[in-house]
Amino acid sequence: MNRTLFLYIILLAFGVGALFAQTPKDCDCFIQGIVEDDATKQPIVGAVVFIKELNKGVSTNAKGFYRISSICQGKYTVIGRIVGYKEKSYTISLEHGAEQNIKLYETELHLANIDIKAQKIDNLTQTKSILENAALDQTRGQSLGEALKQISGVTTLQTGSSIAKPVIHGMHSNRVLIMNNGVRQEGQQWGSEHAPEIDPFIAKKITVLKGAAGVRYGSDAIAGVIMLEPDTLPDSTVMKVEINSVYFTNGRQTVNSGIIEGGSNNSNIKKSTKIPYSIGYRVQGTFKRGGDISTPNNRLANTGIEEINYSLSANYKRKNWTSDIFFSHFNTKIAVFSGSHIGNISDLIEAIKRGSPLSIYTPETFTYNIGRPYQDVLHNLLKIKNTVKNRNGVLSLTLGRQYDFRKEIDILRGDKNLTQLFKLRTYSGELIFEHKPILKLLTGSIGVNSLYQENLTTGMLTKPRSSTVLIPNFKNFTSGVFLIERIVRNNWEIESGFRYDIRHLNVYRIPRSGQNVVNNTQNNQNFTGTLGANYRPNARWNFMANASSAWRAATVNELFSDGVHHGAASFEHGDENLVPEVALNLSFTANYVSKNFQAELHLYNNYINNFIFLSPTGRPALTIRGAFPEFIYTQTDSRFQGFDFNGIVQIAKNLSLNSKISYLKAQDLSNNQALIQIPANRWENTLRYDWKKTSVSITNLYVAKQNRVPTKIIFTEIPSSEIIFTEYGGDFAPPPAAYSLWSASASQQFAINTKQSLNISLTINNLLNTSYRDYLNRFRYFADEIGRNIAFRAKYFF
Amino acid sequence: MANKRNPIHIALLSLLLSATLFTVSCKDEEVVVEEENELITTVKLNFTSGGTTQSFKYSDPDGDGGKTPTIDAISLKPNTAYTLTVEVLDESKIPVVNVTDEVKKESDEHLFVYTPTPSSLLTYTYGDKDAKNFGIGITGSAKTNSAGTGKLKVQLRHQPPINGKASKDGTPTPGSDDINIDFNVTVQ
Repeated sequence: MNRTLFLYIILLAFGVGALFAQTPKDCDCFIQGIVEDDATKQPIVGAVVFIKELNKGVSTNAKGFYRISSICQGKYTVIGRIVGYKEKSYTISLEHGAEQNIKLYETELHLANIDIKAQKIDNLTQTKSILENAALDQTRGQSLGEALKQISGVTTLQTGSSIAKPVIHGMHSNRVLIMNNGVRQEGQQWGSEHAPEIDPFIAKKITVLKGAAGVRYGSDAIAGVIMLEPDTLPDSTVMKVEINSVYFTNGRQTVNSGIIEGGSNNSNIKKSTKIPYSIGYRVQGTFKRGGDISTPNNRLANTGIEEINYSLSANYKRKNWTSDIFFSHFNTKIAVFSGSHIGNISDLIEAIKRGSPLSIYTPETFTYNIGRPYQDVLHNLLKIKNTVKNRNGVLSLTLGRQYDFRKEIDILRGDKNLTQLFKLRTYSGELIFEHKPILKLLTGSIGVNSLYQENLTTGMLTKPRSSTVLIPNFKNFTSGVFLIERIVRNNWEIESGFRYDIRHLNVYRIPRSGQNVVNNTQNNQNFTGTLGANYRPNARWNFMANASSAWRAATVNELFSDGVHHGAASFEHGDENLVPEVALNLSFTANYVSKNFQAELHLYNNYINNFIFLSPTGRPALTIRGAFPEFIYTQTDSRFQGFDFNGIVQIAKNLSLNSKISYLKAQDLSNNQALIQIPANRWENTLRYDWKKTSVSITNLYVAKQNRVPTKIIFTEIPSSEIIFTEYGGDFAPPPAAYSLWSASASQQFAINTKQSLNISLTINNLLNTSYRDYLNRFRYFADEIGRNIAFRAKYFF
Repeated sequence: MANKRNPIHIALLSLLLSATLFTVSCKDEEVVVEEENELITTVKLNFTSGGTTQSFKYSDPDGDGGKTPTIDAISLKPNTAYTLTVEVLDESKIPVVNVTDEVKKESDEHLFVYTPTPSSLLTYTYGDKDAKNFGIGITGSAKTNSAGTGKLKVQLRHQPPINGKASKDGTPTPGSDDINIDFNVTVQ
């Protein structure tokens, strides 16, 4: 025993000696630079810059300059943390291999100059998750809903695999606001089978803000906001190209997207009296085409998709003024699985009993053909933004115009086409003034946003012709004024704001039993507020707490639905008397960063009074086509509470484990039972190996069975003799079993030369071709989820 | 120089802003949306025997929901062979649209199904055939048995081809219902 111990000590001494034997120069590297505000280009005093791996940091001086010295050679992550700004991190390599040219100057080997350009953030005290760079590249080719699934706390509400809507903390549709390049996306988002009409390729960064953000964005941001932001346009003479190409084996889907951007300025003109200006432009386009997809056992008939999108943007900067223009065109045709368009209750019960679709719906041969039923959606968006800076602050005016045209082409009935048409025009405007710090303490903004929209589904706007449309014609006007202020003091930031909103809704419809046009109006107004605090005791820990309110007035479908919703095979009744929902969201987030471990825990408790939802009555509604399950829009007091956890631990040198957990408990407080259609809890683990420009990972996702479902019908006035779906609180089948999915991916970056790069990756989703169904996919009554899907991705850019 | 506002810049800014408003207000015309919906509002069953015809109607003129439909009660004589023909109409349009003709034209995608309850109440036999020798059900024969009461379910199954492959196979299984109604029947 003593001899072994002695041996160990000798080895240790050698080892230690070896360390000391390193040339002193190898640990004489330093990192320095300037931290400045990206917008004003002013240096930031007192910013903290530190090296994650060494947990070594300094503060910037009066000139915004920092320098961290005595660093050994190696690969590091430099993080810039400035109170009031988004955190920035950079990876640098202070390394040299033996093959490097020894004529290189020492300073080049040992010095890294990193200027940190920090961006001010709108919302300090609300939890954000950002999808960008490599993480965003991994999602290319997928729809927006699919891409966001990897953020803990975010899931999807699906209608098959081609239609996915993002769900934040169990809420979706009109409770999740999507900001398309700074413009509020307005389409038919009330529909559970209406996916967001956005091409994720327009964005270089997708941010998910979790929690009520009503004060800044207005009504509807109860669960959160999803912001798609493109890169800033170039402002120097440069041209950049990026081409993305994706191929998915399941459905033989190809997605190709390209961007060309460039700019120019007059910086080359050397004249003291010149006024500096710059221009930038970008042209982007995406083409997607896919055919029938397969579950592990069958091909599903009519599940193809086609999409053509393009966007154009340009900007002009002159002195203190910037003008931006952006136009995007989105056009998709999505086939809806023929085996899901079940006629009535008897067919529905038969389909559920069968467990799998009829063989006519599971053909042997593959086709790209899109047949009936299908959705055909067009969405055009025009945005014009002007920003002026002066000594008092920044004033910006954003104007938007959107045209959304949705056609839902159903299977032929009684020989004639059955098509539902929805034409929506929306005009939006936003005027915001961000003022410079008052008393060197208070920073904030004041603004007003307004929106006017016209929806047409039959005849002319004020003269509808049909009483059998799913939602009536309407005019909608909303406007709100807000004020948000924040105080920054040492390690504390406190933010507070309030907003006043009004909504005026004007509906023109022909009720079922009548012949005359009826005009209904609804006027609502509300105050919302927010109060939050952020405390950063040291470089490792960060705590955030926030209390926010948000409201949402009932939408047209919730008020005036009256008929069979073909896609859902359900008979839906609206309720004219629904009052607005008011939500109070309390959240707390703790963040920890250290050399080998970083984690974020986000706790939330959301009370929503008068929460509006579509509840089954359990009884059939009789029509000439038979009985359909009946649903009524109703409201209740509810509570959504849960947590999201995201942790990364560095197990070994290049090996890391990322674990994400999301847990949600949603309760119908008035009826004392669980709420219907709430996503199940899940736990996802990814083991990743990174080495230079290569990355390999394996992931497991475990989704629990949703045991928290309603057990009783909430409509007490319905006699129990009329109820036929009694077992599952009105649902037709129990929630599906828990499932575990494996996936793997590998990626490689190639630098072709100093300018050009090529990144390729291979991802295998549902690696083991597992058969499973998800509670939040309407097709769970009819078919399994998509089987193994191998994605080949290539990104070429210069 | 820093605070002086260049009049040219103000002019450019105002032009850009007004150009925006201009494009915004120009697209304000009203649009007429084409109607393509067609309803089935009425199903008429005609029982003919020995020269006399009795008609029984299911009528739902305002479509789904709204007023409840009116359903005639079928009254037939026992042990009688009737010729049963069906008419399907859209009475919400003027002039009334005869949907039966359309169904006949697309007989390879449609099947009428008549299901009596109890099954002994009457026996239905198809009287017509489509191109593949499957029944259609626009005309057929209904033979009543001994006196009794019950129901007659009338379905129009729509069985369109899926991805170019025909789904109609003579059974009610494929497709979905365009009509699914129950008549009360008295045989006496």
